[in-house]
Amino acid sequence: MKTYILKRIGSAIPLLFCISFLCFVFINLIPSDPAEVALRVRQTPVITEQAIEEVREELGLNAPYLVRYGRWLMNCLSFNFGVSYTNPSRTVLGEISRCLPATVQLAMVSLIFVILLSLPIGFLCAVFQNSWFDKIVRAIVFMTTAMPAYWIGLLLIWFVSIYLDLLPTSGSGSMKHIILPAITVSLTYISTYIRLIRNNMLENMKEDYVLYANVRGLKQTNILIRHILKNSLHTCIVAIGMSIPQLISGTIVVENVFAWPGLGKLCIESIFNRDYPVIQTYVLLIGTLFVVFNLIFDIISYVTDPRLRGDK
Amino acid sequence: MKNKKILTCATIALVASMIAGCSTNNSTTTNKQEVAKTVAASEDKKDEADSTGKEELVFVNFRDIRDLNPHLYAGEMYAQEMLYETLVTITEDGYKGCLAESWDISEDGRVYTFKIREGVYFSDGTICDANAIKANFDAIIENKERHTWLEMMNLLVSVDAPDSNTFVITLSAPYYPMLTELGVTRPFAIISPNAMMNGSTKDGVKEYIGTGPYVLTDFVIDEYAVFEANDNYWGEKPTIQKITVKVIPDNQTRILALEKGEIDLIYGKNMIDADAITKYADSEEIKVALSQPTSTRQLVMNTTDEILGDIEVRKALQHATNKTAIAEGIFYGLEEPADFLFSKTIPYCDVALTPYEYNLETASQLLEDAGWVVGSDGIREKAGVKLSLDMLYNSDSVTEKTIAEYLQAEYQQIGVQIIINGQEEQSYRDNMKAGNFDIVFNISWGTPYDPQSSLSGMTAPVYGDYAAQLGLDNKAEIDEAIEKILVSTDETTRQQLYDFVLESLHKDALYIPLTYECNKAIYTKDLQGVTFTQSQYEVPFYNMYFE
Repeated sequence: MKTYILKRIGSAIPLLFCISFLCFVFINLIPSDPAEVALRVRQTPVITEQAIEEVREELGLNAPYLVRYGRWLMNCLSFNFGVSYTNPSRTVLGEISRCLPATVQLAMVSLIFVILLSLPIGFLCAVFQNSWFDKIVRAIVFMTTAMPAYWIGLLLIWFVSIYLDLLPTSGSGSMKHIILPAITVSLTYISTYIRLIRNNMLENMKEDYVLYANVRGLKQTNILIRHILKNSLHTCIVAIGMSIPQLISGTIVVENVFAWPGLGKLCIESIFNRDYPVIQTYVLLIGTLFVVFNLIFDIISYVTDPRLRGDK
Repeated sequence: MKNKKILTCATIALVASMIAGCSTNNSTTTNKQEVAKTVAASEDKKDEADSTGKEELVFVNFRDIRDLNPHLYAGEMYAQEMLYETLVTITEDGYKGCLAESWDISEDGRVYTFKIREGVYFSDGTICDANAIKANFDAIIENKERHTWLEMMNLLVSVDAPDSNTFVITLSAPYYPMLTELGVTRPFAIISPNAMMNGSTKDGVKEYIGTGPYVLTDFVIDEYAVFEANDNYWGEKPTIQKITVKVIPDNQTRILALEKGEIDLIYGKNMIDADAITKYADSEEIKVALSQPTSTRQLVMNTTDEILGDIEVRKALQHATNKTAIAEGIFYGLEEPADFLFSKTIPYCDVALTPYEYNLETASQLLEDAGWVVGSDGIREKAGVKLSLDMLYNSDSVTEKTIAEYLQAEYQQIGVQIIINGQEEQSYRDNMKAGNFDIVFNISWGTPYDPQSSLSGMTAPVYGDYAAQLGLDNKAEIDEAIEKILVSTDETTRQQLYDFVLESLHKDALYIPLTYECNKAIYTKDLQGVTFTQSQYEVPFYNMYFE
């Protein structure tokens, strides 16, 4: 067990290194000069060669490519991720730590919505397979999976905030503000998990142990909840666990629509502004989250599933 | 059995971590929530308030106010205008005294002596006299290389404060746009010397303390900023006592927030699209305002190009451009068709010139006379060269793409093939600067930088203009005249030089003016006094009030 965990952690380190290097390479392949972009974003009316040269000097862009990567990597090890190119008074670490809580909050509330809705609906769809309820849910699931988050967000604002006048259109600070963005984020996931739970349960229903349980004369509710649902959730927990980093990295559009001050908004701004240190740190953070969550849920699966351990 | 327990524990742990995640988050954001409550309370108060005499305004911007250090360029200009003031202000009627009550310019145009207004205090209570102003200029000069885009910085010899009411600037040569440069927000806005870091501002400031009509009382990055009326303000106190600036990056959400009444005002060229303006043009709940033209939307033709080097081809394209159709069809009549490089309302630009009239027959005839004959595929040719041109535009701009597609179809009628080439903003700028284009979209600098700074920019390889003009025979004469304009001291001579430059550029036919862009605002019906100033980045909150 210990060997397995150590082996997995050991392989995660070169992976993170590769992520950071590839990210650095790709960002630097963009032809635009970040110094010039920084001057434009800072609304400098005339961008002269001299001004560009000064900003290049200020941002340390004159050093060779690999030297810059090496410098950045060494600084990262001491949690110094540099300073934003476009807002020199803000550090990247400060920006990330400011935005991360808002995104985590949004992701967690969305996850709660996902669990609270997809679990009972998926369960009922499996139990009442091919009933009118199942058919309606399937139709809705197809629709919501196909609708872009941007559009859903605007429709929700129009309907809930303006037409019904129930919630604020955008912003943050209270539980009222988080409802609409969380619903928008969770809709796609809810659709996926409803189908996942439904299909898992239907597969489990065909298993021999269900037949034996029926033969033993156990109550149907008991069989459904204690046996079928429990076994079906095994795969779902891993899938839901892996969707946490996905939720954190997948809120870009929603955060912009709802003016939610999180990582997605920071990321999109940084991409447009060629704010390399922020983009690099963002990619590194999200990469780390994926690696860490993957590791945690692999370990959970390893521990809970005897087949993976090769136990007899 | 053991595994089941582990699975149960893991599930409980996951759910618990989620709940904890939320609760921890809630506790860490208590502060924010308190502030949000204040904002929410202010919103409620706003709703409850009587429709007359409301003193709080909720404004919106696509990003937060950022660093408001007035001597650097990283902050939002509308917010800097609320906090800080300059020696002079630029108005429709010319320059007006602000922190300087009056000024004298020496005969040779090199020495500016300002009489500083008495009794002006910063919002921290410090007096704003000539010494405070000199401290500001010293801090700006310390970081001189960052401000060399202002010609006056290159000509600056010294600044002095001989007494607390007199401030003197000496230049090495006369420079007529001097007062304009002193009047624009950055970098000559005045901050309290107490807010500087050891007399310097180039590495940041301690606080944002100015003499302006408002003070910054609260700011949460990426969420909102609150400005309240400055009790120490020397001028007429604004009616709006409190301004909350919310951050909403998405265009559609901003408009929905205005409809719901969460915000009172959306202001700015890039904050509102033409669709929104037309939607509310006849609305009773939401009002619309448009400014006088601020800048010119134009196409620039590269005269170094083999085909466009021929003035007859350029003239043909001038005649083949239907500006009225663009103004009405694409901008719903919100932007006026432009006949000249600068609107006649811009200083020095009311020059008697004959516009190139839209006439496809004339355009075809010009090409025919120049030896371009229609080939079998409908595209004109001359000596084996096809009349095919590349049109570069900024793909982030929806309107530029629409105009490009429209012109592609229009020019096809006279046998000119246009290959439209949309590029992301920075690549578009890079190509424009390097002269990698046949025809490119451009917008003039806008007020108050037009015409002097736009023309000055043509003389150096900074923007596409320089590259585009290199094929002109009279390029050297035009550049020389522009340089003379900047140092001219006599009004008549200056006007004559402007006449020469504008006439030459018009005759050279390398600029196809399309429309005059204007500043826009949409706002709730109770808000009054929504106006525009000479500076396109300023939002004149001090004129606004609620009915």
